[in-house]
Amino acid sequence: MSDTYQRLVDLLAGSFGLDAADITPDSTLGGLELDSLALVELSVASQEEFGVELDDSEVDLGSTIAHAAGVISGKLTAV
Amino acid sequence: MSGATGTARREPFHAAVTGVGLVTAAGVGVARTWETLHAARGTAAVDHPELAGLPVDFACSVPDFDPGALIERKQLWRLDRSSQLVLVAAHEALADSGLDRDAWDATRVGVVLGNGIGGAATWEKQHTVLLERGPRRVSPLLVPMLSPNMCAGYVSMMFGARGPSFVTATACASGTTATGVARELLRSGLCDVVVTGGTEAPLVPSLVTGFSQMGALAARREDLAETSRPFDADRGGFVPAEGAGVLVLERPEHARARGARVRAMVSGYGASADAHHATAPDPDGIGAELALRAALTDAGVGADEVDHVNAHGTATQLNDATEARMIRRVLGEGPAVTSVKGVVGHSLAAAGAIEAVVTALTVESGHIPPTANLESLDPELEVDMVHKAGRRAAVEVAVSNSFGFGGQNAVLVLTRA
Repeated sequence: MSDTYQRLVDLLAGSFGLDAADITPDSTLGGLELDSLALVELSVASQEEFGVELDDSEVDLGSTIAHAAGVISGKLTAV
Repeated sequence: MSGATGTARREPFHAAVTGVGLVTAAGVGVARTWETLHAARGTAAVDHPELAGLPVDFACSVPDFDPGALIERKQLWRLDRSSQLVLVAAHEALADSGLDRDAWDATRVGVVLGNGIGGAATWEKQHTVLLERGPRRVSPLLVPMLSPNMCAGYVSMMFGARGPSFVTATACASGTTATGVARELLRSGLCDVVVTGGTEAPLVPSLVTGFSQMGALAARREDLAETSRPFDADRGGFVPAEGAGVLVLERPEHARARGARVRAMVSGYGASADAHHATAPDPDGIGAELALRAALTDAGVGADEVDHVNAHGTATQLNDATEARMIRRVLGEGPAVTSVKGVVGHSLAAAGAIEAVVTALTVESGHIPPTANLESLDPELEVDMVHKAGRRAAVEVAVSNSFGFGGQNAVLVLTRA
């Protein structure tokens, strides 16, 4: 798994109280019990961690962690 | 002074206190606070890093607070400290009550908590984020974390309680007001059980400095633990504190039907306004007297029947002088008076709730905790203070006073079960 994926898992474990062991590439954000407010908080945290925002047209509660990491990576590459 | 008794006499109503929980600067759990009160050990300390460098950099903060054992980690980051404190206290109170959440009618379980300031730490932090990093970095949890009502909302959520849920705000009387109003919900028949009390987490730089600028706070002493000195001739203001207190109140027949242990009864409640000044008490204590007399009338007890007063006793010059004179005038020289604030400081909206818990335990045990740091009783204050050591006494009737900024006064009468 990519460095971005691992950093995203660390972020979810560190700032959102999730157990890293519960997170797989196929986990969805909604399945990990994030809600719409937590999704916005994740975008805020992503700005801090990666310097990129997550728009809800790109990442929503049905998105997998692998997908979210891919979106972040894509934006990092584009920068 | 016509109408000084405040309320028309109604049928007596004794709300049963079946569970109690505390989180104070003495520690997490009722037992730690009770022991520290009886040891008369002050808790003021320099252990709040955010206050470093400010004129008042000490406080009574909850040591080793780790709510992770009781609150899910994935919920914890969404909760301001004011909610975390009261959730832990509520957990203890519910366990103490022995109530079975699977057996209760959730629509008849209410939550009424006192809170004054809401999520102060959240607000300060996010305001700094807004100024320094811009609006896109502000947390979407800001509003639900700072709103003062959310502490009650979260307690309802934690226990699946679907009855009325709200917060009372009467500044430093909020926890007492909440307990009195909770009893009214039981008395009116709207609820069978009300989880009540109060919470406050005000130890943030702006607020502590604001209190300091008002001249309300005690000046540092060489031994910080001796800084909060209620009713002492050498008192100089209060020490700011955080904390939470929770009582489970039940309709007496509800408690009886399930064979609950009843620690004490909340038998009277009185409230009033000074209608005088934003922060200074009425110098004659007229508002405080109205609330006390109303509470006695509500409880159907005479002034000469009061054995014990758990005073507001903040250790400010004005409060303690006005309160002591009022106690002496209304209740005579009979009752044994104490203030817990020498030990746990002044936790604002939580204070009355913490003191209601302590008063319930005092009534139950007949063991009055001493007022810490009261070495030389102000000679102008002619009341029977319990100090230096606790006192054993049959406490049939006790009063708990709370007086808030805004001149908002609330008094409870507790009696033996």
